Amino acid sequence: MSIAPEIRYRFMKDIGAPLVMGMAGLKGKRKAAIKRDIPLGPPLKCSKRLKEIMTRHYFLSRYAEGARPVAWVTSGAPVELLRAFDFYTVYPENHGALCGAQKLGPELCSIAEGHGYNQDLCSYARIDIGVCLSGKTPVGRLPRPDILFASNNICQTVMYWYRVLAHHWKIPLMVFDTPFNFVSLDRSAITYMVRQFEEMIPELERISGRKFSEKKFKEVLRLGKSSAMAWGEVLATMKTVPSPMTIFDAFVHLAPIVSLRGLPVTLEYYNVLLSELKDRVSKGIGAIVNERKRLMWDNIAIWYKIRDFSRLFAERGMNFVTATYTNAWAETISYMDERNPMESLAKAYSLVILNNNLDHRLKLMERLIKEYQVDGLVIHSARSCKPYSVGQYDLKRLLMERLAVPSVVIEADITDFRAYSEEQTTTRLEAFFENIEDGG
Amino acid sequence: MHLDLETRTRKDYIREQKSLHGRKVMGVFPAQYPRELLLAMNILPVEIWDPPLRTREASAHLQSYICSVVSLGLELILQGKCSDLDAFLFPHTCDSIQNLASIVNDYLGIHKPCYFFYHPKAPYKRASRPYYISQLKELKSGLEKQFGELRETDLKRSVDRWEEIRKDISKCYLLRSEGRLNTSNRAFYSILRRVEYLHPDDFHPLLTNFLQSGRTETERQGHGVLLSGVLPNPPEVLDHLDAIGVRVVDDDLLSCSRRFLSGPVSNSDPYEAMAETYFSLPPCSTRGSAIEERLNHILKKIRSSRADGVIFLIVKFCEPEFFDVPILADSLKKEGIPVLVLENEINQALSGQIVTRIEAFAEMLG
Ligand code: SF4
Ligand code: SF4
Repeated sequence: MSIAPEIRYRFMKDIGAPLVMGMAGLKGKRKAAIKRDIPLGPPLKCSKRLKEIMTRHYFLSRYAEGARPVAWVTSGAPVELLRAFDFYTVYPENHGALCGAQKLGPELCSIAEGHGYNQDLCSYARIDIGVCLSGKTPVGRLPRPDILFASNNICQTVMYWYRVLAHHWKIPLMVFDTPFNFVSLDRSAITYMVRQFEEMIPELERISGRKFSEKKFKEVLRLGKSSAMAWGEVLATMKTVPSPMTIFDAFVHLAPIVSLRGLPVTLEYYNVLLSELKDRVSKGIGAIVNERKRLMWDNIAIWYKIRDFSRLFAERGMNFVTATYTNAWAETISYMDERNPMESLAKAYSLVILNNNLDHRLKLMERLIKEYQVDGLVIHSARSCKPYSVGQYDLKRLLMERLAVPSVVIEADITDFRAYSEEQTTTRLEAFFENIEDGG
Repeated sequence: MHLDLETRTRKDYIREQKSLHGRKVMGVFPAQYPRELLLAMNILPVEIWDPPLRTREASAHLQSYICSVVSLGLELILQGKCSDLDAFLFPHTCDSIQNLASIVNDYLGIHKPCYFFYHPKAPYKRASRPYYISQLKELKSGLEKQFGELRETDLKRSVDRWEEIRKDISKCYLLRSEGRLNTSNRAFYSILRRVEYLHPDDFHPLLTNFLQSGRTETERQGHGVLLSGVLPNPPEVLDHLDAIGVRVVDDDLLSCSRRFLSGPVSNSDPYEAMAETYFSLPPCSTRGSAIEERLNHILKKIRSSRADGVIFLIVKFCEPEFFDVPILADSLKKEGIPVLVLENEINQALSGQIVTRIEAFAEMLG
């Protein structure tokens, strides 16, 4: 690492970023003051802080190049290992979600499509490839990575996608291969995963130019675990009736646990969010004004529809109180154990929902439905995401059979609204609303 | 033998295998699996790639954006056409097969044992090989519970046998690429694809007979192409190439050369030998190979077979292939090699538009 980028990075970290954060907070304040949605409860005060954190993260990332080793990472990869080497990490999936929320999906996807990438491919991948090919991004600029770090514990798609990136950037792709849990996790799979970690360490030392410190690694693990547990507690506040937060809030407040896992800021943030939610619970403040029905969401968010949906459901007194998606970053954290770091990391990362069989998913959903007193289920069949979507039709049927929970399937996409039909969705949702009002 | 096999349906063949030879039959989904292991246990693997059906019942379980290999495979089960099978095996090929495996095992209640096979993905590490071997052994112990004990000598024999068959398949490929195999595109794949369900006792003689009778010293006429993608379906593409005098001289198909053309085996331990086979297979999107590696492999094949162009025959919604194709196609074009990318559903009739594109492509070959 040369000295000039290092100085520039430090300057931006200490002076530039706080300025930008302040401005982001101000903007949020103004917006919040103007927009006040009637069916929704008071907005979370924490949102301002969240905005500051994420703005700082993307702002600083521009200056990380040359100053810190930079990695582009998949959302399910065991980033704790990279943190031990002080990598600056960028999450293309989080960036894709951000582009999706700003309704930039089709525009960025079509850049990739113009280079031959099929419109049926995952739109996070198409957005990212579009960004790489054009340099366009709403966050100003993404830093050029030194390494790509992927795990197929969420899908095989990320492997195909990151291979394209590796070819484009001409940089190494490091893969954490997590055997799919068809039945149960066996010893040979654990050994295989632990050995992969052991092989990664010298490679990461070479790329980062830094020595592996077990002490630092354990500290990161501790932080990562505490943040994920705090996130779990944040979600658990939604068991309260009325729920102090909606799942649409959670989709947004998920960003730190995805992108900044293992960093002190994440733990600090979730502790603040948690106390705000607890305060709401104690005062009986709900996220929507009149919570009559409680719903569960399945699959990734429809990012361009978050605002519309949160209003649409709130107007009917329906609040989303749990989701398989937001739960994913808290679900397996109990496996994490700094006394047995590698093995526990292997378990925590390979037993996540998308690397687990559908029987596991069914049981998880049954448990969430009971614990969160769910009255109905909205299933987003996401064209982008085959591992999340294949099996949903049967899940719908089985949950109805077992728990008599009414549900609806929305055929859409996470960011590409060309795959979304307003008309079809409205028709389906109207039928669902009737159904749920009739008590299923 | 040849004619007899030609006229018998797959169903009759399976029944005969069971009644005459006491074999068990396993329905195997794409793509890569240790067939030697199954055969050593007297289990006949019958692969499910492109059953001749129309999707009817599968659409109640699968979204419209799932590839037809997966939806037709499920259709086969749902239409009750797997009653002769004793079990299923699902290799971990892609997200869609992975979830299909779980739907069948966890949700359908079909009461048929399901086995799974996870093969390590590239980039391979030192840990990959021991893990692959552990997977072979775990599959073996799982199968033993249903099908009885496997004798090491049987496994050894089965590994050696498959090695012989692979050598003959390689010979077919070599002769074809040198233009010394007198066969049509359709006939070549029709013979090769019998490996998907015939027992080696039947397949090997068929193959050697094909090899001997097709050998010729006459030089290849007309243009040659390399066929890439998942599988040679719809077969009408092959017919059409035959009709316009374009010969498939080599392939990079997932169902064909990417599973069969591994390096020679030197290890005498059967598990090590199977691992050697797996890790020396050509680069493949579903196994995680780098695109560069696959590109170089295709370029090498183009040179050795003197192919004039490349046709990518991609199954609609096939993510592993669709991510690789833009870079492959672009790089090939930069090398001055004509490329045609066709997207199709399994068993889909050839549209006029596809025919026109194939013809226009053939004209470009010079
Ligand atoms: S949306 Fe689905 S397919 Fe796309 S990267 Fe995420 S998990 Fe993978
Ligand atoms: S065609 Fe592609 S997506 Fe479909 S099963 Fe085969 S590899 Fe998977």
